[in-house]
Amino acid sequence: MAKRSTIIAAGVAGVLLVIAGAVTALNFSSSESSSDATTVTVRLWDEQVAAAYEKSFSAFERDNPDIQVGVEIVPWDDYFEKLRTDVAGAGAPDVFWVDGGSYPAYADAGALLDITTALPADAQAGWSAPVVAQYTRDATLWGVPQLADPGIAVYYNADLLGDAGLTADDVSALTWDPTGDNDTLIGVLQKLTKDYNGNTADSAEFDGSNLSQYGYNAGYDLQAMVLNYLASNGAQFQDESNQYAFASDAGIASFQYLVDLMNKWQVAPSAADTNTNGDFSREQFLQGKMALFQSGVYNLANVSAGANFDWGVVRLPSGPAGAISGVDGIAAAGNAASQHPAETQRVLEWLGSAAGSEFIGASGAASPAVLAAQPAYAAYWTSENVDISPFYDVLAAGTAPAPRGAGWPAAENAMRPLLDEVFIGRTPVDSGVRAAQNAANATQTE
Amino acid sequence: MRSRGRLRRRSAITGYALLAPSLFGVVCFLLLPVLVVLWLSFQSWDLIGPITFVGLDNYQSVLSDGVFGNSLLVTLIFVALVVPIQTLIGLGAATLLTRGLPGSAWFRTIYVLPWICAPLALGVVWKWILAPTDGALNTLLGQRVEWLSDPALALPAVAAVVIWTNVGYVTLFFMAGLLNIPGQILEAARIDGAGAVKMFWHIKLPLLRPTMFFVLVTTVISAFQVFDQVYALTQGGPARSTDVVAARIYYEAFDAFDLGRAAVMAVVLLVILVVITLAQQFYFRRRVTYEMD
Repeated sequence: MAKRSTIIAAGVAGVLLVIAGAVTALNFSSSESSSDATTVTVRLWDEQVAAAYEKSFSAFERDNPDIQVGVEIVPWDDYFEKLRTDVAGAGAPDVFWVDGGSYPAYADAGALLDITTALPADAQAGWSAPVVAQYTRDATLWGVPQLADPGIAVYYNADLLGDAGLTADDVSALTWDPTGDNDTLIGVLQKLTKDYNGNTADSAEFDGSNLSQYGYNAGYDLQAMVLNYLASNGAQFQDESNQYAFASDAGIASFQYLVDLMNKWQVAPSAADTNTNGDFSREQFLQGKMALFQSGVYNLANVSAGANFDWGVVRLPSGPAGAISGVDGIAAAGNAASQHPAETQRVLEWLGSAAGSEFIGASGAASPAVLAAQPAYAAYWTSENVDISPFYDVLAAGTAPAPRGAGWPAAENAMRPLLDEVFIGRTPVDSGVRAAQNAANATQTE
Repeated sequence: MRSRGRLRRRSAITGYALLAPSLFGVVCFLLLPVLVVLWLSFQSWDLIGPITFVGLDNYQSVLSDGVFGNSLLVTLIFVALVVPIQTLIGLGAATLLTRGLPGSAWFRTIYVLPWICAPLALGVVWKWILAPTDGALNTLLGQRVEWLSDPALALPAVAAVVIWTNVGYVTLFFMAGLLNIPGQILEAARIDGAGAVKMFWHIKLPLLRPTMFFVLVTTVISAFQVFDQVYALTQGGPARSTDVVAARIYYEAFDAFDLGRAAVMAVVLLVILVVITLAQQFYFRRRVTYEMD
């Protein structure tokens, strides 16, 4: 009869063997597919573009049978937390989307493939110049441009405009002015905002604490609202040295105007709703409860799929310095620690090609950053009877850059709670905006 | 002599072998992470860059940071709101449920349901219920109350959701404690003329001390560590009025990517919990009645 200790030792060894076997099997299954093809993983946050990618990679795999591409979707809310931990744990995908505020930290840490040298020069031609500039740091390009959001514009609900006796033409050239001298926006928004008794915001009986229909969205939305209102009043978000500079006199006037739309004129949803739910305004617009919704092409597919009313797009309101819109782009970065560098480079080259990007444009999912693929995007929306020219026409007046620099996540973390209080009206605009700017800049010097 | 020594050695080996699986778990998933956090608290690290030793800089930065001071205060208020209320409700519910009233079994299940659900999912549901515009509660009340965006209401609202979630857990333990009290003791008290109130205060409550100790230790620890509901409902806002320590640790680590400062906050939280647990143990040590006969 075997000794008890021998049985126990055998048992422990058996358990360890099972664990080791399971770990080996998991490692094996994650790195290799069942065929001989090498699997390259691509991660992004946009489901609609992911669907276009699936079609694109099917075409790629037909011509490259030695590579299989796996598409992973990680929701935006968790995307950068997961990416950071995956890069730290050497478990990041081979290719992953980055935005302008996040990529510098990865580039500085050596986690990204140097696109300038990794891809042939001819493969780098024909990309949107602003997006290339956005992802170029120290003369090195750190991502293959994928999406080039043009400008911001205003979606309108034609039915609600009609109810107020207005047409698209009446809202296509609105102006805003912090002094009030040259302002046509507020008057129109008052006509488009109603309380639960049906009183519009320009009537004496109007109860602004109880709205059933909003004229416009004015909450804290950096890309759709803040950058444009700053630039349209001649203010900067960041200066040339990437210091936050939005608390200038013009900047404070821009914030004051937005806050007044919510709290003084009561023509936009309260920050109590928009501070904690970034999609609140879009939801209200899609439910037919908001007349004008300022946003970008990134919401075109959502509006097209979700709006069961007549809608269209017009230019964003013009400020004292003109109608100037923020622009932003998204790039696909290569993982510098990829186990399959050659295959990863081939996938990146495909993503940056006209053939690879054509699927994004042709599906209408997003505006491709590959110039040759952009006509397919315009053609898609033309076929849907949607005129997307206001998103592009606004670029002629100049553009406002998206947040930049390695410290953007920390800066936003510091300033956001302070700006939330400004928008909800508990902190005076001038002191609140200054405090937010100081908090953001303090993170850059730590 | 030699064979007794060999026997003892063999017994020890058997004991360690039997302990090995759980010891492996404790070392790998408890002790090692604590040591790593302690080590991280002396480093500067953003998860992707190099790790740099910074000595006590993180401690100095965190302990002089008003934002962290606010988080500690918010957490203390939260614990002071949640623990007494959920203990009282749990004790009351357990007392009623052990009286064999009609429908008790049904209520027992209902009370425990929130506790077995994912807190994050419950938080999302409650966020919809408490939404200022079109929220279920405001629709019921017929007026607009900004439950989650008014700094005066946000923390009590989050605390109410947490209490609602945990009451079933507390009730379950008090019920087990009450049902464990020998019937002859209660019978003897009844014969001696004790009424329901006297019986509760002088018989049941003293005999529930072991349960009370367990419930208080576990609920205080869980209240100090609350995160899911805060993350789902308010994300620490408005104006940092719900910015509890666990949430602050998360935002410091995964929004600001400052792992060193986050580790210091985790160490501070650990120290606070150890001190409170020891204090509770000291308080109950001489008062806990483990034997009933």
